Amino acid sequence: MNLLDVIDAVQSLADGVLFGATYALLGIGFTLVFGVMHKINLSFAAASIGAAYASLLILSVIKAPAVVVFLMAAVAGGGLGAIVYLVGFKFIPLANPLATLMSTVGLLLLIDEIVVHTTAGVPLNYPALFSDVIIRAGPFNIRGDLVFVFLLGCVCMVVLLFLIYRTNLGIATRAVSQQSTAAQLCGISITRVNVLTFVVTGVIGGIAGAMTGAAIGMLSPLLSLPLTVKGLIVTVIGGLGSIPGAIIAGLLVGGLENVLQFFRGVSERDLYIMLLLFAFLVFRPGGIFAIAHGRD
Amino acid sequence: MHRKFVTFIASLGAMAAFAIAAPATAQERTVKITGFGAKSGVVRVFGINSEAAMKAAAEEINKAGGVTLGDGSKAKLAVEFLDDRCNAEEGISVVRRIASSDAFVAVGPTCSNVAESLFGILQKKVGDTSDSGLQFPIIADVAAKGGLAKISEWSFRNVPSEFEMYKSLMGWVRSQHPDLKTIYGGVEKDFAHSNATYGVMKGQAEANGLQVVGTAEWLLNDTTFSTQVRDMKRANADIVAISAHPFTTCGVLKEMERQGVKPKLLIGLTSSSSIETLQGCAKQAEGMIIPTSFAPVTPEAKQAAENVAKFGGSADLHSAAAYEIMFILKDVIEQQKIMAKPDTVQGDRNKMREGLAALKETNGLLGKVGRTADREAIKPFLYVHAKGGSWEVLHKPSS
Repeated sequence: MNLLDVIDAVQSLADGVLFGATYALLGIGFTLVFGVMHKINLSFAAASIGAAYASLLILSVIKAPAVVVFLMAAVAGGGLGAIVYLVGFKFIPLANPLATLMSTVGLLLLIDEIVVHTTAGVPLNYPALFSDVIIRAGPFNIRGDLVFVFLLGCVCMVVLLFLIYRTNLGIATRAVSQQSTAAQLCGISITRVNVLTFVVTGVIGGIAGAMTGAAIGMLSPLLSLPLTVKGLIVTVIGGLGSIPGAIIAGLLVGGLENVLQFFRGVSERDLYIMLLLFAFLVFRPGGIFAIAHGRD
Repeated sequence: MHRKFVTFIASLGAMAAFAIAAPATAQERTVKITGFGAKSGVVRVFGINSEAAMKAAAEEINKAGGVTLGDGSKAKLAVEFLDDRCNAEEGISVVRRIASSDAFVAVGPTCSNVAESLFGILQKKVGDTSDSGLQFPIIADVAAKGGLAKISEWSFRNVPSEFEMYKSLMGWVRSQHPDLKTIYGGVEKDFAHSNATYGVMKGQAEANGLQVVGTAEWLLNDTTFSTQVRDMKRANADIVAISAHPFTTCGVLKEMERQGVKPKLLIGLTSSSSIETLQGCAKQAEGMIIPTSFAPVTPEAKQAAENVAKFGGSADLHSAAAYEIMFILKDVIEQQKIMAKPDTVQGDRNKMREGLAALKETNGLLGKVGRTADREAIKPFLYVHAKGGSWEVLHKPSS
């Protein structure tokens, strides 16, 4: 391994960590719904990509700048979040854990197929901010658009943490998450909290979808399934229900993926990520920030 | 009263006229040609284009009087197109469904992995009584992986030979650009067509004296290409050849632009010579050279492109093959005197297979198409390159 290899490995790690911000956002979406409802929303990544696609509609009307497209993605994500709740959760018996799991699998396929039928599966250009900016630091080049994705991801995370720990909605959400019956007795509407949780996670999903599109430069229905898998891996490694865990896990998975790609190639890369997932499931099922009291 | 009586008589007359006309309408026969391919999933556009091409060709044939059947009667062609979702199991299920009807031939599929499995359920050798495989002719329009028709004597293809295309292209590159010595490859490792074609590209590059200095690999739904492109940058090759479909081709081209990788020549996969690549990354694909068996350069090809567009599709090297197939089927139906009746189904299938197998040459949109003994096509082709947001003809090897 010569100096150039070391430089490339570090560069791969940096690129991966920056792109990992999108995984972190997806992980937060998964983990937030799980934290509040103790359910996995498997359609989350598909809805995120769907929201990014929906945001492109504005470009067919006016020549909007990238920021407006991103905002549209967030708005569309919020709307889709509410729809996902109504279709996949509201009228499904929540006592049966498999019912909502299957309904969200159905929604994943439905959203995916709607996107495919609308676009014929053709990849579409997605705008990016600072795509021409390259920050040079010695032998390393940092992509301006990825830095933007990373910073926006960080801002989303801070806003979300503020929302959860410093607002009435956050208190209500945490109350429902910890003891829903007691929360109801305190006058908190479970349905309202659930809908708002889905809208908030939808907004984050929309931003994640937009950032993914911006980082790649394109959108394709091909993205839904791998992003669903990545989101779930991040959620497990970060710990179900842990927002800081999802953030760290997202960056970790993004970085590791690129480093493994560099050292072991594409055919082995995902193998090691899956091994990491199993290692967490077996040795640290509570995720990165779990209190070390072993398996429950 | 008188007026009511007149109305009554007029109504009776109209009914009688309709009753006389009805048998005549019933006698106008229709032959249904069933196509199948991906009409859902990420390759849906291929199915849409194939269906549009088949319908456009059927309309042309019908306008010219339709097809003459074995009993001398005239029939119109009708097209039905079924979705196999680019999934081998669904492809087999779709073909079994088609084969259980009166159909005597099917056109498809889109994906090579479907074709490979599907041709495997057909009878390998005609007349082999120990083989219970399906005795049903299938002619492929899109599935491009090399050598698939060899699998069964009931399988045929009208797809271009990528081996011949890249052999010619690499030879041309060598002769036109003798200063270019090295080539770096990029391949979408988990897609049968891309992977197989990369083998062809690499082999032909080496055969033409180019030194392959490295290969980057990625998967069909990968999202980051920075590591692969950095390796490409380090290799600093004169030529970069990318064997991948539009989504990852564009992803890689955009990453190349970010990292400032500017090869002297860029070569792409046949399937990328489509509108999707230009919609995704026209600017980055500028100059990319791709061999293709279709471009609207002849009057027939121009007309076909217009006709296909009318049916909501786009004419490219794949859908053009479907368009040509409809005319091939018309000729075989007439030459083999196919009856297209419910009681002649297996006989018609045998005749169709024999007719297709006997073809030595067919008419293509770019010129004559040769047929090989192993039921493949030798199609004329040309090189196109991306220029100003569209594909333009760069060179015609035959000229």
